[in-house]
Amino acid sequence: METILLHSNESFERVFLNEPVDLHIVQEAGSRVKIVVVDFETSRPRDLEIANRITIEQAGEGCVTEIYGLAYLRGDERVTTETHVHHQVGSGRSEQLIKFVLDDQAQGRFVGDLKIAPDAQQVEAHQTNRNILLSEGAQMRTQPQLEIYADDVKATHGASTGQLDESALFYMQQRGISKEKARQLLVGAFMREVIEAIGDQHSAVREQLLHTIDGVVE
Amino acid sequence: MNKLLEIRNLHASIGGKEILKGIDLVINEGEVHAIMGPNGAGKSTLSAVLTGHPAYEVTGGEVLLRGENLLAMEPEVRARAGVFLSFQYPVEIPGVSMTNFMRTALNEKRAYEGKEPLSAKDFLRLMREKKQLLELPDKLNNRSVNEGFSGGEKKKNEIFQMAMLEPCLAILDETDSGLDIDALRIVAEGVNRLKNPHNASIVITHYQRLLDYIVPDFVHVLADGKIVKTGDKTLALELEEHGYEGLEG
Repeated sequence: METILLHSNESFERVFLNEPVDLHIVQEAGSRVKIVVVDFETSRPRDLEIANRITIEQAGEGCVTEIYGLAYLRGDERVTTETHVHHQVGSGRSEQLIKFVLDDQAQGRFVGDLKIAPDAQQVEAHQTNRNILLSEGAQMRTQPQLEIYADDVKATHGASTGQLDESALFYMQQRGISKEKARQLLVGAFMREVIEAIGDQHSAVREQLLHTIDGVVE
Repeated sequence: MNKLLEIRNLHASIGGKEILKGIDLVINEGEVHAIMGPNGAGKSTLSAVLTGHPAYEVTGGEVLLRGENLLAMEPEVRARAGVFLSFQYPVEIPGVSMTNFMRTALNEKRAYEGKEPLSAKDFLRLMREKKQLLELPDKLNNRSVNEGFSGGEKKKNEIFQMAMLEPCLAILDETDSGLDIDALRIVAEGVNRLKNPHNASIVITHYQRLLDYIVPDFVHVLADGKIVKTGDKTLALELEEHGYEGLEG
């Protein structure tokens, strides 16, 4: 595990592309964190389980934390992404968007532990988990764990797992687009939101990933 | 006159319930056919069956497009062969840009016809030209398909796609619903300008109003899954006046 102490008003941004994350960050007042985790490997050894674990402690006021996750899994791939976001003091903000696309027998798991301490007033915390299952055999487990002890906070949590929009697939087919290509376009559109969150500091990776998801239609 | 579409004794059902109960219809190149009828008569089912919507089951009869078995084709193949549906409720596709969507569709059709894909430059020029026909804004290109479009913009976008794909058979399913008079005029003018001696359209509508702008050669009344009456454009006026009473199958 890598532990990082982020001093007041410092910024930290990192993209993890096809590498497991095990990171613990303590944020001092006014610091900013952005982490983007993308599991996108197409030729990973079978049966390999990836575990991503991100722990954030907002120890000073006015911190901002953004966590984005995207996993596109096929075959027997399994990925667990675990986030622990602890607002220990007030007036901080955290934003989490975690997406899984699961095909074949792939399995995804998201554990989202969000704590807001009793004195951490005026915190804004959002946690969203959206998943698409492309096959009958794919599985997703979502385990949100919300512990909110302060009363003057804005906290939201949302999770959904579903299939591709059948009406959108038919609409595209009616314009001559094959079902397979239509699926790729919809999956690409679903993934785009996470990839676009990658900041300019890592624009080369962002453009490469956008190209990968668009590439399927060219 | 060349026969474009031939529907013979078509029966279709959804969820085990029979909706189309023996439709016969011949459409020649250059013709405009209006299909009118009360709610639940099977008008939208007919367009869904012709385009291959997976929810509907064809239980009898056949449909030939230029002599070929249309019902045996996948939905995307029917589209590439020139069957176009202007949806009553166009679908929003967040995250897929109009440009990407349209370029994919057009190039799939061109590949089917044995043509090379259009270059980015030629494609964008074509988009610009066709957008003007429908008075659609330039910013359309980067917007997601139908996302956040007003009702009028969605219908214009359908006709814009029709202009891009140049189908031989356009089915306009209640294209007039939800349009104000200006949007209706733009949409109808777009349709009229796309008309040529080798294509045809089926205009499905509830009201006579659209037929003031898109003048049909034939008007058919669909009731309880069958065509119960066929006439010329004056039939639409009659229906407007007297309703569908007495025409039920």
